[in-house]
Amino acid sequence: MSTPLLLYIASVIGAIALILMMPRPEGTPASRLTPIGALLGAAALGGLWLAIAFKADLVTPDAFKGVVGLPATTFAYFYVFSAIAVAAAVRVITHRRPVYSALWFIMVVLASAGLFLTLSADFMAFAMVIIYGGAILVTYMFVIMLASQPREPGREDQAPEYDRVSRDPLWACVAGFLLLAVLLTVCFNADGTVQPNPAAAMASDAEVIATQLTDRGLDAESAEQLGSSPEYAADGVSNVERVGLDLFESHPLAIELAGVILLVSLIGAVVIAKTRVEDLFHAGRPVQPQPAEGEVG
Amino acid sequence: MPETLTALGLSHYLMTGAVLFVLGLIGFVTRRNLIIMFLCTEMMFQGVALSLVAGAKFHANVTGQTFVIFVLTIAAAEAALALGLVVMMFRRRGTLDVDAWQAMSG
Repeated sequence: MSTPLLLYIASVIGAIALILMMPRPEGTPASRLTPIGALLGAAALGGLWLAIAFKADLVTPDAFKGVVGLPATTFAYFYVFSAIAVAAAVRVITHRRPVYSALWFIMVVLASAGLFLTLSADFMAFAMVIIYGGAILVTYMFVIMLASQPREPGREDQAPEYDRVSRDPLWACVAGFLLLAVLLTVCFNADGTVQPNPAAAMASDAEVIATQLTDRGLDAESAEQLGSSPEYAADGVSNVERVGLDLFESHPLAIELAGVILLVSLIGAVVIAKTRVEDLFHAGRPVQPQPAEGEVG
Repeated sequence: MPETLTALGLSHYLMTGAVLFVLGLIGFVTRRNLIIMFLCTEMMFQGVALSLVAGAKFHANVTGQTFVIFVLTIAAAEAALALGLVVMMFRRRGTLDVDAWQAMSG
């Protein structure tokens, strides 16, 4: 197929699916169409993968290594992880309860960590799980529990109105999927326009080891010999070492700036936390019936 | 020489990144809960990070992975500040609805 027609069809189906799955007021006919939306969404994702499979003649598994650059066994994991990531992402934006949205977001993080592993970016995968899944999401969970609204009397099983009804799902989905269709077209035609930059390719293991040994005072010639010797080559240079070298050799200023940003946000967070808020909710005019003392804030 | 992605393999990862980004964007626009809106920005970060790492693999270097470290730094700083603000706003109005803060748009 020369035109990415299948991509556009997948985008339209995906948009319809997402519109159907968005939270709506209960009792309306549209709120019963959620399962159909889920089915359509799965179809859209399948259509997307089918479009690229058609493009590359990926029907035979042997073709994978040459066409994609990764072995078929590795690339199978790409399909699994990206399907999980996209499905969980849809659940994040359609779930009515913030706690479950946050839990589904952990699923997105884990799936994209898996995708990083297929790209042999081990360090980033683990950093993602530790920082996002471990630190940021725990902060989110705390805030969700701190800032949960008391339920309306008689309707304790229901989430607040702003979680149950989304704002303009139709236009947001139309605009979003229009953007997605354009992005997908550009990505789809990448193999005609994008070229790898050979000059940017990283140094081989032997070169990295030789540079390290020279830095430690060994003369250049014997460093080179040692670097390509079998006992050093057996260990190789791990992904963590490569990222560390690139980080500290090529971006020292950026590290300092990142430290400054973290310090500033630390001070900012302390200032915000210490700001005395005039507590309208609890003092003068409660919007909802008062919760038990100590439950909120 | 380590194995690298071809342009077609790269486009697979870029497409997944684009889908994550757009889903985050749609969530940011449609949801009315402040916390979910910030969660959606984190999801957009995920899409960008995936594209960066795939680009690094495509060019056979690790610069893209280094950039993801900085993306993580900014995400952590943003989460700390934004969630502090959300708690403060919740204590003032007793709701997480963004429409309750419409007066701020002027």
